[in-house]
Amino acid sequence: MLSFNTVYAQQTNDPIIEYIIESIVDNQAEDFDYTELVDRLNYYRRNKINLNKTSREQLQELVFLNPLQINALLNHITINGKLIDELELQSIDGFNLETIKNLLYFAGINTPSGFENFSFKNLFKEGRNDILIRYNRYLEAQKGYSPGSTSRYLGTPERVLTRYRFAYSNNIQFSLNVEKDPGEKYWNNTNNQTGPDFVSASLYIKDLRKLKKLAFGDYTLQFGQGLTLWSGLSFGKGADIFTVAKQDLGLRAYTSVNEYSYFRGVATQINLGKFDFTPFVSYINLDAGIALNPITNAEDISSLQQSGLHRTNSELNNKNRIGQFIFGGNLQYNYKKLSIGLTAYHSKYSKNFAPGNSLYNKFDFTGNSLNNAGINYSYTLKNTYFFGEFAHSLNYGFAYVNGLISSLSPAVSMVLFHRNYQKDYFSFYNQGIGESSTAVNEKGFFGGLQIKPSRKFELNFYTDLFKFPWLKFRVDAPSTGYDVFSQFTFAPNKTTKFILRYQFQNKQQNAANQIFVNTLEFVKKSNYRLDAQYQINKNFSLKNRLEIVQYHEENTNNRFGFLAYQDINYSPLSSKLSGNMRLAMFETDGFDTRIYAYENDVLYGFSIPGFQEKGIRFYTNARYNLKRGVDFWLRYSITKYNDQTTVGSGLDEIQGNSRSEIKAQIRFQF
Amino acid sequence: MKRFYFLIIFIVSNFQLQAQINYGPRITAMGGAGVALQDVWSAQKNQAGIAGLKNPIISAGYENRFGVKELSTQSAVFAIPIKNYALGASFQSYGVDAYNEVKTGLSLAKSFGPKLLAAINLNYHQLKIDNYGNSQSFSVEVGLQYQAFEKLWLGTHIANPNQSKYGEQTEQIIPAHIQFGASYLFSDQLTISSEVEKVLDNQADFKVGLEYKVVKFVALRGGISVNPFKQFAGFGINYEKLNLDFAIASHPVLGYSPQIAIGYEF
Repeated sequence: MLSFNTVYAQQTNDPIIEYIIESIVDNQAEDFDYTELVDRLNYYRRNKINLNKTSREQLQELVFLNPLQINALLNHITINGKLIDELELQSIDGFNLETIKNLLYFAGINTPSGFENFSFKNLFKEGRNDILIRYNRYLEAQKGYSPGSTSRYLGTPERVLTRYRFAYSNNIQFSLNVEKDPGEKYWNNTNNQTGPDFVSASLYIKDLRKLKKLAFGDYTLQFGQGLTLWSGLSFGKGADIFTVAKQDLGLRAYTSVNEYSYFRGVATQINLGKFDFTPFVSYINLDAGIALNPITNAEDISSLQQSGLHRTNSELNNKNRIGQFIFGGNLQYNYKKLSIGLTAYHSKYSKNFAPGNSLYNKFDFTGNSLNNAGINYSYTLKNTYFFGEFAHSLNYGFAYVNGLISSLSPAVSMVLFHRNYQKDYFSFYNQGIGESSTAVNEKGFFGGLQIKPSRKFELNFYTDLFKFPWLKFRVDAPSTGYDVFSQFTFAPNKTTKFILRYQFQNKQQNAANQIFVNTLEFVKKSNYRLDAQYQINKNFSLKNRLEIVQYHEENTNNRFGFLAYQDINYSPLSSKLSGNMRLAMFETDGFDTRIYAYENDVLYGFSIPGFQEKGIRFYTNARYNLKRGVDFWLRYSITKYNDQTTVGSGLDEIQGNSRSEIKAQIRFQF
Repeated sequence: MKRFYFLIIFIVSNFQLQAQINYGPRITAMGGAGVALQDVWSAQKNQAGIAGLKNPIISAGYENRFGVKELSTQSAVFAIPIKNYALGASFQSYGVDAYNEVKTGLSLAKSFGPKLLAAINLNYHQLKIDNYGNSQSFSVEVGLQYQAFEKLWLGTHIANPNQSKYGEQTEQIIPAHIQFGASYLFSDQLTISSEVEKVLDNQADFKVGLEYKVVKFVALRGGISVNPFKQFAGFGINYEKLNLDFAIASHPVLGYSPQIAIGYEF
């Protein structure tokens, strides 16, 4: 029998959180902000979940538990009563030591929770405040800031984030984020824009009598499998094969700094026995590009802009250019192992969407109002969890998914997932699983296996076949492709781990050499990755990675990409100082063979930069605990390219062959 | 004298093209990864597997490719264990009157103790093309299966190592391949098997499949092969001595190929 009472130091690089994130965010864009997830995991690390009082939804927030494990845990408590000892977890189906170790990192069996001792006196006495200020900038001068050039950034080159959190137990949370990106002004006062570039605030209250949740300000909504309505954080296909079964969290406060995909207004979740009703209303201004419609002579929306960058006059002009009004509701029925949800909402825009002018976007949404409705289900039968959603955009197309997770034996779990998204299915908050980033114009079938014969070995394997019935950007015909993924993990002991990963993708795109007619060709991409992690002593651990990408278009030579890095982590249990550093070398034949790698950052910071061309990357990252409740982080990174005289493009261009960044962060907790 | 000509044909001819062996719906539904499985259809896949059978079994099946009537295969297999030995017979006919390929096989398998099974198989091939002529040929296959430990079987199969052919006049060849793989019994309900295959003058393929017994008499199966990429699924129903198996293979471009077989265990 093992004991789980390990003491963890607070460190900049949290290996458990890092592992969780890297296993699920594989296919995300590199500039996505995962603060919300890192924040959430860090929050539960400090305010542990009480497993005896927890809910399905709270367990889902931990993202690494799959639906079958959650069911098994809740079922165990229902049948056997409260957990008395943490060792009891070992007797639950689907819980191996790794899962239990991860779970107990964020949860316990006796931790206090709820409004049990609430009073306003306690609110301010026991409430926790958290203020964090982060500053970062490139050290080299970029073209957009040079005084001479005609088109230039209006603001200053640093990024500054200020965030404030107040939390009382798990029940009252207030969040405020104020941010400016590089090139943006601290205070906008042009084009009817006044104030800081990005401000987001939310007040979130949980378990107030019948009101399970109540959110004012910015919030996100996630229902079903993400076809009808899913905003904010979302995962696709990744090393964790279970992420294709989305675990919806319903209403949540929005605490991230992605300047897109959230709502602003009021929403609440009311509990009525077996039913939960979540009505919501939101009005928000969105960034959009505008095109003049030649027929009506009115301004049409040519594109919605998601970058949240407002650095130049034209970007500022597009800021908050259109209004979006949304209202609707979700009704959820939960009974034992069955859950059925109905979601419907109406969205209205202050301008029309312009009709697509290319063949590939012929079926895109036009007009200014849209009604969406969807029904989702999940059901557990013995060792199998069934899930799915059927969604319809009224007067337009359909989309549906169906899938299952089955634990075939104690060592083997299987995932099957089928999807069909019509080419004229529209939802502005659609994050269904697929090869494309949005669930439209795609059919596919995913099959995955996870084999864990013992604590030492783990094999994850999936294949995914996809078809695009209509044209896509740069694919001038209906096309098809497939994905094969396998990852083998070997952990000979508690402090050593090897991960071997192989991924192969074959899909069609326009042929490189077009003569009269665009034809398609198959493009093959293979990824080979080897990770080695080992702890040298109590203070030091090392990690190596080797990754090779092979990219092949028909009638051209193979192109290769190569990345190798060495990490050193220093995280002593009882020192005020901790930190880590990495030296990486990369060499790729251009953009198609670029390689992404997760990097450690200051707390809540997050980055998965992509490397291309040839060069060296170095970063170092340190945290210092000044005194109780005051922490300071410092990060320096530099990328040095061989054979290059400039770095970056457009207004971001730097003269010279290297780009370096400094990042400082201070946090006060009281 | 005839044999001499065959020998000449074996040595001289060097045309190549892929012909298709039908592995039966159980192995097909598992992605074709059956080199380490024991089944009556091992008579077509890896003949060593029939030495693992307890009773005589006969099975007959029909396969259609991609919904094209002309591309269908009828096949039948039979195996009978006799003490440490097992005898097997296989028959398959592919195509239509205008183009027809028939393969008839006889195999002898022996178990050397409970852990090692080995077999040798002789095939007689007939090819008939209207207005063109007929051709015949022989080929050899050998197979091995070894139980590495209680739940793990390893298997190897080699077909047509001497690269026998129909003759100088035809481009139709009898494929030469080597396959090896493993099957693992995770529980009474679950078997996973995998296989690497190299066909001469063709790319290597990797296959993996699983069989899950939902209840004692119903099995669900699925599998994939990566090169070419194909997905497979199927089920089997076992009612007393009768076996009914169904499989469907899906190719992303060419479409679906269903097959069905009925077997009887004596």
